[in-house]
Amino acid sequence: MTDYNPLLPIAPAQGNRRSPLYRRHVDLQAKFEQVGDAVLVSHYVKPGIEVLLAANLGLVDLSTMPRTGFKGAGAPAWAASQRVKLPKLPNTAVTQKDGSVVAKLSHQELLIVSNIMGSATSIDRLNREHLNREHSNKEHLNREHLNREHSNKEHLSKQTLAPQTYSLPRADSHSWLAVTGNAAAEMFSKICGVDLRVHKFAHNQVAQTSVAKINGVILRHDLATTPCFYILSDITSTEFLWDSLLDAMEEYRGAAVGVAAMRSLAANK
Amino acid sequence: MKRLPAPYGLLINREQSISFSFENKAYQGLAGDSIASALAANDQWLLSRSFKYHRPRGALTMAGQDANTMVQLPSNPNALADKEPIAEGLQVMGQNYSGSLENDRGSILGLFSRFLPVGFYYKAFFKPRGMWEKWVKLIRKKAGLGVINQQLEPEYYDKQYKFYDVVVVGAGPTGLQAALTAAVDGCEVLLVDENPILGGSLNYARLDTEGTLAKEVRDQLILEVNGNSNITCMTNAMVNAWFADNWLPIICGKRLYKVRSKQTILCTGALEQQAVFHNNDVPGVMMSSAAQRLMHLYGVAPGKTAVVVTGNDDGYANALDLMDAGVNVAAIIDLRETPKATPMIEAAIKRRLKIKPGYAVYGAQQNGNHLSAVEIRKVVSQGICAEVGETISCDLLCMAVGYTPTYQLACQSGGQLSYDDNSAMFTLNNLADDLQVAGSVNSYWDLGNCLEEGARAATIATNALGFTQADIPEAMAKESQSPNHSWPIFAHPKGKEFVDFDEDLTIADIINATKDGYEHIQLVKRYSTCGMGPSQGRHSALAAARLVAAATNKTVAETGVTTARPPFAPEHLGHSAGRSFYPARRSNMHYRHLEAGAQMLQAGAWYRPAFYSPQADYGPSLDSAVCINNEVNNVRNNVGLVDVSTLGGLEVRGPDAGEFLNRFYTFGFVKQPVGKARYALLTNEAGVVIDDGVACRFSEEHYYVTATTGGVDRVYQNMLKWNAQWRLDVDIANVTSAYSAVNIAGPKARQVLAKLCSDIDLSKEAFPYMGVREGTVAGIPARLIRVGFVGELGYEVHVPQQFGEALWDALMDAGQPEGIKPFGIEAQRILRLEKGHIIIGQDTDAMSNPMEVQMGWAVSRKKPFFVGGRTISELKKKTPSRSLVGFMINDTDGPTPMESHLVLNGEQMAGRVTSCNYSPTLGKPIGLAYVQPHSAEAGSQITIRANGGVLVTAEVVTLPFYDPTTARQEL
Repeated sequence: MTDYNPLLPIAPAQGNRRSPLYRRHVDLQAKFEQVGDAVLVSHYVKPGIEVLLAANLGLVDLSTMPRTGFKGAGAPAWAASQRVKLPKLPNTAVTQKDGSVVAKLSHQELLIVSNIMGSATSIDRLNREHLNREHSNKEHLNREHLNREHSNKEHLSKQTLAPQTYSLPRADSHSWLAVTGNAAAEMFSKICGVDLRVHKFAHNQVAQTSVAKINGVILRHDLATTPCFYILSDITSTEFLWDSLLDAMEEYRGAAVGVAAMRSLAANK
Repeated sequence: MKRLPAPYGLLINREQSISFSFENKAYQGLAGDSIASALAANDQWLLSRSFKYHRPRGALTMAGQDANTMVQLPSNPNALADKEPIAEGLQVMGQNYSGSLENDRGSILGLFSRFLPVGFYYKAFFKPRGMWEKWVKLIRKKAGLGVINQQLEPEYYDKQYKFYDVVVVGAGPTGLQAALTAAVDGCEVLLVDENPILGGSLNYARLDTEGTLAKEVRDQLILEVNGNSNITCMTNAMVNAWFADNWLPIICGKRLYKVRSKQTILCTGALEQQAVFHNNDVPGVMMSSAAQRLMHLYGVAPGKTAVVVTGNDDGYANALDLMDAGVNVAAIIDLRETPKATPMIEAAIKRRLKIKPGYAVYGAQQNGNHLSAVEIRKVVSQGICAEVGETISCDLLCMAVGYTPTYQLACQSGGQLSYDDNSAMFTLNNLADDLQVAGSVNSYWDLGNCLEEGARAATIATNALGFTQADIPEAMAKESQSPNHSWPIFAHPKGKEFVDFDEDLTIADIINATKDGYEHIQLVKRYSTCGMGPSQGRHSALAAARLVAAATNKTVAETGVTTARPPFAPEHLGHSAGRSFYPARRSNMHYRHLEAGAQMLQAGAWYRPAFYSPQADYGPSLDSAVCINNEVNNVRNNVGLVDVSTLGGLEVRGPDAGEFLNRFYTFGFVKQPVGKARYALLTNEAGVVIDDGVACRFSEEHYYVTATTGGVDRVYQNMLKWNAQWRLDVDIANVTSAYSAVNIAGPKARQVLAKLCSDIDLSKEAFPYMGVREGTVAGIPARLIRVGFVGELGYEVHVPQQFGEALWDALMDAGQPEGIKPFGIEAQRILRLEKGHIIIGQDTDAMSNPMEVQMGWAVSRKKPFFVGGRTISELKKKTPSRSLVGFMINDTDGPTPMESHLVLNGEQMAGRVTSCNYSPTLGKPIGLAYVQPHSAEAGSQITIRANGGVLVTAEVVTLPFYDPTTARQEL
């Protein structure tokens, strides 16, 4: 990470972590902001106008925002032990105290995305805890491995420290886009075969489906009264998906907007 | 332009005039007009020429159900003039004529019709031998209608999903009622109709003697439908098929809607059928419903003097409508000897209409290209008329002899259409549970019955969906009188009684097909092409079934009708092709490649740099071979950087990770040391090599396994499949996209990397060849693998995806003093070839086993099991039939062979080349080829047939071509 100087305009490529879309944002004359180690689009046009756009149909790139994932037989119990509030059913999500959202993709798989302020305290904490656990496991197992090699005995105990929980690199495997606004569900019907209308697809509901022919996780997480859908999909196809979404949005006068508009809508109780 | 006064003309706006042209002549129409209605208002009735005999054709249904109205538009051929709206400046032309539409020289073909009998396609043209080649040119020229405008810019078509509890197809009285009932019960309803407005037959049909009932019912139903927020109406929309689980493709404008409906109610109505008699295709002869559509929808009088031929009450209603519109009705020709007195007939009698019961229209006469008179004769028995008759002058003949249900969608859902020969009524059976039919598609004709049936079908649907638990009323009793006359078919000595207008097929054609031995209706269809034209048998299926039944001494019920497959109506290719998605994958360093002048190529969905041509921005690019050779030389002598982010990456974690890989790949992995990578060769159950990579052991329970770019998805699926059987305690995750990766390779690779890597000891001793380490590169968390794919000191650096560009920048900056340069996959292919490394999929095929490709060393002999192991052990017992060898071409003057060029043994094919390139390092072409075992020894000479048939001699050499001691990669 290069040094951050608050007096200079924030450049999208100033950090090591770069959104696959940062050139698109530059082309759209975006103004960037820094949240933690992430640089993301604050707004493109006047923030006030963008709120109106976002309330109708907006597309936001949150790909540099924190997110993580865990899977394995021990994942739910481990997450619960870390004071994570878990959804009861797969394909649903629960908002945590800090605004982050935990989605259950299956009985043994969790996806966690940060709040839109980008404050990733719980995600950082979980990643750190898991890493520590992995290190402990690794050291223990490597010791055993060496012991086995030295003693040349295959039957020596081979036990892990806890039930299996595996981290998933969601911040890098998946891009994170948000589609906001009242026309969002109608727009989605052009590129996604799941019925996402607001009376059919509830707040904090999850669909694991195909969007514009790319596998994706769709999580509805409204901004107060404004519908909002997160799309997490293959990060290497982000530009394709971004273009496909903007093309589908054109009919409804949708536009790319910044995270500032999302925050304004979220504050409109 | 003549129009009937309002309220005639429901669809037109009399205030908005529109200019257009037809056959280069200017016309005026009104907004809301179709091309055909606007032309009819201008007394232009001739619209097209028939396919085979070039006969003049005019409006038949005015509902887009027939091929008579097909015209050429600038944007597309075969537009239906009775559906296509006029537009300002629209240029419309006729089709399929020589000379002019009015005077088509092609119409002379009609004189030779007896030389063009049914099935003549099959009987002529192929004799004597070789004649087909000559005929085909003429046939190709004559086949097809209209002209495709190849200069046209593509238009934007797209698709959209929709979801409803109930979809009602058809917005006539039954459909309106069904939609209302379902919506009132709480369902989300989609009501679809192909016409511009709701109402169906209520918009044009006369249901009572006064002619007021239809409007009253229509206004009330539409008011209620429009006031119900649960109903979405889609007009000008065609439900073009029924697919499993009520998947309905609906075409509306330039969009294909993919609609999922929990319950579907078909209220598709019925299609009026023509009478079959001599010259029944002349312009001026039309369905009675077409005449009513012209009057009520467009305010156009369909003629001046009319004759109505009928077998039901609708003909009388039609005659009353014509009278009201000021058309002189010369006679009603009733095929029935003793029609039952009904209010409609009594009204006709009261208005002194001339009625001829027991008569038929025996033939039509034409003046120029339009009807001038009809000859009527007494019907003496089924299909037989008296010897003499009388002629009635007229310019309009309306046919009201019966209907067939619009059964196509119902039959696509598995429904069976049955016909009762006695009552001439149809029924639909065996319908899917989630599909109902109601109204005239189910042979109900009375308005009250149709409304009851619509409501009943909706109640069945709402009950099934759990919205209601109502008692289902009994189905209405079938009506005693069918509107279908049982035999409105009258042969004529001069023929030309058309059964199928699309294909110009007459009564004799259908009967002759049965005489030629094609007695089954499906065979008659294929032999005669009856029902295979644009209207897909909508008006020919019933008449053909009746004729085949009579000719084969069967009933119509036994004969059946032909299959109605999707689509129901012609659709533009744009509807299927429009807005398809072709996902593209880009590495995080993609734009750095473009900035460096990379020529990109697509490998599956991935974009990859083939080679870099740095001069691209400033002048002519260097020759690609020069660029590639420079890249190769820089790797061999300096240091190069290649983006390998597309390589597959799989995390295999858990207590059984080693055991899992042991079973999955050919090598042994259980005892693989932590911190080491091992080559991983994958075979399938048949022992065929299907992928490869390296398995990096980062801990006792954690392997990071690479796979080929194109193969990783299959490898991942196979891993999941096998572990579903083995049930080992292991987690498998495809993390291909989660990592950006580069290979920094060349003798100075360590020197460059050391500048950015402070927490890993890169020395040869601490980090040897095939070692793996975790640490940071330029502050970025990274996994490092010492590999030798290109045959030099090299490190693969894998970092989290979004750090890829930063890693690339850091390495390129750090390597500047060492002369680092990017290299593409073309250079990489040469480098690996020089090293003798194979590429799975290029150097292997669907039969390649490890021994053939000299990979026997990668197969463990100690393991009890691995996928493909049993087959491989059996294959080892056999004498190999081929071997993949390296070859070198010492004569550099000849052509360089290419992939798939043949290796010859004399004249016989003895193998093929899989890879071949000029090697900048060795200064000569080298390659890999499958050869016969006796040629596999080093020093053997093989012959390769290169481009242009040139024979090239090559020498088989021991692999690798370069650095056989592996000293360079183990630096």
